[in-house]
Amino acid sequence: MTSAVLELRSVAKSFAATAALRDMSLAIEPGEVHAIVGENGAGKSTLIKIMTGVYRPDAGEILVEGRAVTLRSTQDAQAEGIAAIYQEPMVFPDLNVAENIFISNRASGAFLNWRAMFADADRIVAQLGVSLDVRRAASGLTLAEQQTVEIARALSLKVKVLIMDEPTASLSAHEVERLLSIARALKAQGVAVIYISHRLDEIFRIADRVTVIRDGQHISTRPIGEVTEEGMVREMVGRAIDSFAVKTEANAVGDVALSVQGLGRAGVFSGVSFDLAKGEVLCLAGLVGARRTDVGLALFGIAPATEGRLYLHGAEVRITTPRQAMDLGIAYVSEDRRKLGLAMTLPIFANISLASLRKLLGAFGLIDRKTEAAMAEDYRRQLDIRAPDMRIEVGKLSGGNQQKVMLAKWLETKPGVLIFDEPTRGIDVGAKAEVHGIIRRLASEGVAIIVISSDLPEVMALADRVLVMREGRQAGLLDISEASQERVIAMAAGTGATEAA
Amino acid sequence: MIGALKSWEGGLLLVFLATLALNAAFAPEFLTVQNQINLFQLSIEKIIVALVMALVIMNAEIDLSVASVMGLSAVVFAYLLNQGWGGGGALVVCLGVGLLAGMVNAVLVAKVGIPSLVVTLAMMIGYRGFSRVIVQDTSLGNFPEWITDLGQQGLIGPLPLSMVLFFLLLVGLGVLLHRTGFGRQVVVIGTNAEVARFSGLDVSRVKATLFVMSSVISAIAGVLYAARLGSVRGDSALGFELDIITMVLLGGVSIFGGKGSMMGVFLSILIILNLRNGMALLNITGHVQTGVIGILLILSVLLPNIVTELRARRARA
Repeated sequence: MTSAVLELRSVAKSFAATAALRDMSLAIEPGEVHAIVGENGAGKSTLIKIMTGVYRPDAGEILVEGRAVTLRSTQDAQAEGIAAIYQEPMVFPDLNVAENIFISNRASGAFLNWRAMFADADRIVAQLGVSLDVRRAASGLTLAEQQTVEIARALSLKVKVLIMDEPTASLSAHEVERLLSIARALKAQGVAVIYISHRLDEIFRIADRVTVIRDGQHISTRPIGEVTEEGMVREMVGRAIDSFAVKTEANAVGDVALSVQGLGRAGVFSGVSFDLAKGEVLCLAGLVGARRTDVGLALFGIAPATEGRLYLHGAEVRITTPRQAMDLGIAYVSEDRRKLGLAMTLPIFANISLASLRKLLGAFGLIDRKTEAAMAEDYRRQLDIRAPDMRIEVGKLSGGNQQKVMLAKWLETKPGVLIFDEPTRGIDVGAKAEVHGIIRRLASEGVAIIVISSDLPEVMALADRVLVMREGRQAGLLDISEASQERVIAMAAGTGATEAA
Repeated sequence: MIGALKSWEGGLLLVFLATLALNAAFAPEFLTVQNQINLFQLSIEKIIVALVMALVIMNAEIDLSVASVMGLSAVVFAYLLNQGWGGGGALVVCLGVGLLAGMVNAVLVAKVGIPSLVVTLAMMIGYRGFSRVIVQDTSLGNFPEWITDLGQQGLIGPLPLSMVLFFLLLVGLGVLLHRTGFGRQVVVIGTNAEVARFSGLDVSRVKATLFVMSSVISAIAGVLYAARLGSVRGDSALGFELDIITMVLLGGVSIFGGKGSMMGVFLSILIILNLRNGMALLNITGHVQTGVIGILLILSVLLPNIVTELRARRARA
């Protein structure tokens, strides 16, 4: 293993009493795409932070090209040719693309040689095989383009190992393609890419080798040809999972709960029509930017509809505020836990009771604290929220458990119509299966459910019917028996498939 | 118990006890009942407003207009008394002034959506201007005796009216903040207003209520100020807002909202009052006292950061 560009030998790291990494050994070869997979909490983030000098290991050593090194900071790591890009890229919006690329290694001297800088930037961007105007301001760049800038920045620093942490979590399908081709371009230049992703299909398309970690321990490293998806998932969770069984037949459903006719919001989306029955799961599929979330926001009264009609249990309603939607029994579980879903610094119990605070108020508006605590305990058991105490800050929980707290908050409102927006984004395979289980159970209890999801396997696993959106319009409504991933994608992208009723 | 001492309030309690001990040791007259009452009375209007300011800051807003509302209310009160109005009628008008000022802040911040820093800065300047127009360069005094008595003398035993009001508000607002649905909404909105909106809370109504409360209580404090001093001028209560905000921040209320407790604010008030009193008894000038309080505030902001940094370093090493 002397050829390894980056090697970890028996690295361990603990925080207080918990071991985040135990005896972790890993060798990264130059010019390979090395995928690292594991559930949330498996130790991936700690591993990245150790490789990039954010944390220092308690034990073990780090070798770069066979030399033992001590990484005290990200600057140290960069000097050794190790850099990382994350889900949310960091660019300076007021600088142009070229300045952003060279932000940390501008040529010294009092004056900038703009022409040379643009030329260098052009060359680096060309190496990545993408077209991007390096003279434009960074402010208007899409997330994917910002990522390209970050990768170019790393390349300008003569990077040998580039760590990509969930780089495609917020990208649309064709942006994912572009990122994968960039990763291949990097590899062709001899850069080792460490690719961390929950999306297993990407891993099979890009990786040369896959390392599975679980509970802070190295489980296996294998060439991709020797790995199967089931085997990988089994190693990640330590047990078998049936979450991705594809649904082929719709569930038997009850009366129509929500009827939407020609719903639209001026300049955002229009012409959305569907009937949603009790116990039915309707999935909203489409590319990023198809305005699916806006339909959810309109139904929940955050950004009210300006056209069309809404009927709830047969009676026409108008919804212009979240309060009205909630009073009608509609709940919306947001896709953005951090910004819209949970008050991260408040205790778990306060987040759970947040949307149903009124029920807890007694004389003088005093909160019934006993009932509130009991409510939290009830959901801890019901949803298996893993927390030592319901009084701890919700921000200290893992993503999957935070998602369950958010679910508990909305379940407590006893909704008749429940809208989930990307219910499993950024949570691990095990928690994902649990969330799917909860959604199925709610449907079987008669709740009418709308799931907005960019994850097609998820759509196929949950939906009774699939409503496909394209550029703010309804492109089609498919029964699950006639839906396939290929057909949904074709409809969402506007190629082939004709509109269905 | 040790866990409690590690909290911000625990730290404040230790500082407070240390201040008490030093004062008692070095200034023999410190422990007299009269001195204890004087110590509150000298800043009573500020500490009353600090209690409601704590709620405003918990909500991630700020109200810089409080001192100008106090000043305006004091001036209007004095002016009306001089015009021959009865105390009761003048008080009602002053409450009306507070209500109106609060509604202006509330509408501009909660409905129109202008940042409270800007709105209340403008109102701070504007109301101060009204005060100066009403009294010009003179001072207004000659209040009926019963009013100055009410401002200075004991109402319940040796406790004057303003102190009784302070303790009632302390308990009332403490319960409101920590035990009621309204208080919970204040904290959640201060933590993340978008999360609150997506949970169906009426964010602008809560904010509007707080700004009205803030101005009305400031107006009451202004009347108390007039009654205690017996005369007012155009610059009455000038600059009080900064002392008030200092008390709240030292009490551990986060300037970014969402974090803090009424107990912390109360302890911070006790510390500032006792420090000033102790230093005064030792003939230390007001300017030095102000300097000491400033250092205390900087330390209070610095310390948690240093602790966090040390913990982070330990985690990294």
